[in-house]
Order: sequence, then structure tokens, then C-alpha cells
Amino acid sequence: MTAPAREALVLRVVDFGESDRIVHLLTPHAGRLAAIAKGARRSVRRFPGTLDVFHHLRVQIAERRRPGGLARLEQARLVGWFPGLRSDATRFALGCFVLELLDRLAPENAHPQDARRLFRFAREALALVERAPADARLRVLLELVALDALGLRPELDDCVRCGGGPPAGFLVAEGGVVCGTCAQRVAGGLLPVRPGTLRALSGALRLPLARLDRLVLAGPLLAEARELVARLARFHIGLELRSDGFLDEILDGPAAGAA
Amino acid sequence: MRSAPPIERLVANLKRLPGIGEKSATRLAFHLLGSAENQVQELADAIARVKKDIVLCEVCFDLTDRSPCEICRAPDRDTATICVVEEPADLAAVEGTGGFKGRYHVLGGALSPIDGIGPEALRIRELEARVAPGEVREVILATNPNAEGDATAHYLADRLRPSGVRLTRIAYGMPLGGDLEYADHVTIGRSLANRSELE
Ligand SMILES: [Zn+2]
Ligand SMILES: [Zn+2]
Repeated sequence: MTAPAREALVLRVVDFGESDRIVHLLTPHAGRLAAIAKGARRSVRRFPGTLDVFHHLRVQIAERRRPGGLARLEQARLVGWFPGLRSDATRFALGCFVLELLDRLAPENAHPQDARRLFRFAREALALVERAPADARLRVLLELVALDALGLRPELDDCVRCGGGPPAGFLVAEGGVVCGTCAQRVAGGLLPVRPGTLRALSGALRLPLARLDRLVLAGPLLAEARELVARLARFHIGLELRSDGFLDEILDGPAAGAA
Repeated sequence: MRSAPPIERLVANLKRLPGIGEKSATRLAFHLLGSAENQVQELADAIARVKKDIVLCEVCFDLTDRSPCEICRAPDRDTATICVVEEPADLAAVEGTGGFKGRYHVLGGALSPIDGIGPEALRIRELEARVAPGEVREVILATNPNAEGDATAHYLADRLRPSGVRLTRIAYGMPLGGDLEYADHVTIGRSLANRSELE
């Protein structure tokens, strides 16, 4: 049997009925897609341990037969599996956070060029979570660069209204900073933010993903950055991420910093 | 095929059970219709009682009709070893091997950020409380061998390590990404025998 040709990253696995599973995949050819894996709960023969989050697979997918139907996952082979994300609860939580952002925001039927870029981002981000210090700083930076990769890059340098500067605050609804003059005409919702915070976040967007952990962000700047990025994410997603609460619990919890 | 409304209602209810489709449901319905009155009544009673009579064991959190459960009361079971599983069905699977003579702890799930299940949602404090007095020497972490189960096992190990208890993880003859509930007894038995220290 030849190896299935298409690559995919498992974002989410949901049990379906007694014997099936629905798998949410990120693919470099079509973006996000959901496929049903028939018999995956019961039989380990067809999908021997392959359908699990973080798994990088080669898959064979039968296209859905009618609109609104599900594609069928016919075959899957494990290529890589990010073991470091399973052996540490904080890394696991951060990895799930990345997957949830992608599962919520990655486009279906994406343009191949966008799909390829997003797939690469996902793999690099998970690789980063495997090795970088798993802390509150990494969470903020990951969320920012994920939003950027998903086409929701905030404007952090020039005023979103007039293009001028310097920034007087961040306007979540308009996805960027506004200058002092424009700020006077803003009715509400202006988030005050220090120049240092904006410089750090702007720097994060220019860094290659693999070097993101070198960025310094701590103390009140980290708290500000957290607020800004979280509000931006919530604005675009419409609700809080499930893994957000989990991360809060685990980053401050009894086992935090144990690893 | 159209049936009288009472039969259709029974078929509709049976169909909600796992693994039962239209055909099986219809077959069961007609079987019940042909059974003796007292047999049908006994089945109906059994179904009605199961929700009322089953409680959680106050020690291990398995489902039982009397708390503490039979395993937690049994004087011949080793109190120094606790096998931690996600769900009662997993406990039943391990118990089915007949090879484990210690006691259990049912967590009530596994860590799952995407489902909003954090440490506080699981019975982790209860496990810590069982380990704290010092009588327990080994905790076997038998959460499912998938990402959630692995992460949960490592999280538990971090929490329990200060107590000095020996921490082991069941070995995998189990397929990666698998479900303990669906593994056969030989596989689970072998996995238990080959458990290893958790770093
Ligand atoms: Zn302006
Ligand atoms: Zn018990």
C-alpha cells in the first residue's frame, strides 16, 4: 500500500456515536476541515493510535458527497507527534491553546498559499511550545503571532485612523493604535498602553517564530500585553477560548513551574 | 414499517441506546412484546432503579450501590497501591484482567483544555488526601494512552511527587491514542505488569 499523499495536523478529536470519531484537521492543501473516521473508536486496526491531538499525519480523505456532509478519513499514517507536549501539563495546555485558536479561526477551503503558510505556522508554533519556557509570556506571544498568522494582525506602530503617531492607546474594535489627536475623537474603549509594551509586541511580529522566546516581556508590560492581546482575540472570536480558563488555572496552579 | 404508537415509542427509546439501530430496536421491542409480563416488569424495575440506587464510592469514586464500594471494603486488597483511572469503565477494564490486587481512584476524566476541564474539575485533591497519610507506597497512573491521558499522568506526578510515593505509568502494549475501555484484557494486563517509573 502506498503512503497517503496529503499532510494534516490533528486539531481536535470528538467521539461520534458508539464507534466513530470526528477529526478536525489543519491541512496544507485546504486549510481546516472536519472528517469522519468510521470505526475509529472500536477498531485500532484502521487507525492504530493515529487520531490524537498534535499528531502530524499523512492522510487519505474522501471528499464529502453532498454540501454540509462530512468528508471521510479513509487512512492515516503517523509522521510526527510532538511528544514534549504530552509530558508536561503546561506545555500541553499551551499546545491545546494554539490548536483551539486554529480550530476556531482557520479558514475552510483556504487558498493553497494561505493553507500552506498556516500549516507551517502551526508546526513551528507547536515545536516552540515543546522547547521554550512554558510561561505566561509565551502564552501572550503565541496568541499574538497566531492572530497574525490567521490574518488578524494588529497595527502596533502607526495610528489606524491617520497613519501618524505616537500612539496614545489601543482601539480593540479597529485592531490598532490611535494617535493622541485621533484619540480625542474616540467615544470609548480606548485601552491605555505603554510604548514599551507596543515595542515588545511589534518586535514579536517581526521575529521568526523559532526565536520568539528570546523576546523580553515581563512585569507590568506583560500584564498590559496580556490584556491587549486577550481583548483582541475575544473581539475576533466572539467569546472566550475554552483553554483560556485552563491556562489561567495551570499557570498559577499548585504544579506551576514544577517542570 | 408502521407499528402501533406504543411500539413505536418503545422502539424510539431503545434506539437512543449505544449500538442500537432501527433494526435491533424493532427486534428487541417485539421480543419484549412476546415475553412474560413479570419478566418485562423486572426489566423495567431494573432500569428505573439503577439511577436511584447507584452512588459514588466516597473513597475511590467508582459507581457502587453501597459506599465505600466492595473493593474499598475488601480486607484482602492491597492498600499500599492505588491505580488511578479516568472513568468507572476503565476501572472495570483493569479489574477485568484479574491481575491487580490494589485499590483504585477514579479521576472523573482527564485534563482537557479544549473542553474546559482543568485540574479543579478532577478528583485530584481527593487523591492527594488518600496519599498524604503515608500508607500508600505506589500510585499507578493508568489514564488513557492519548495526549490528554499522558498530560494528566504527568500533571498528577508533579502534584504527588512531594509525597515521596512511587509513581508509575502503565506500559503500552496499548496502542498510542487508545481508549482503555476498549482494549482487551490481555493487553491491559500486560500493560500493568510492564509499568515503569514516571520521570
Ligand atoms: Zn491619528
Ligand atoms: Zn471504592
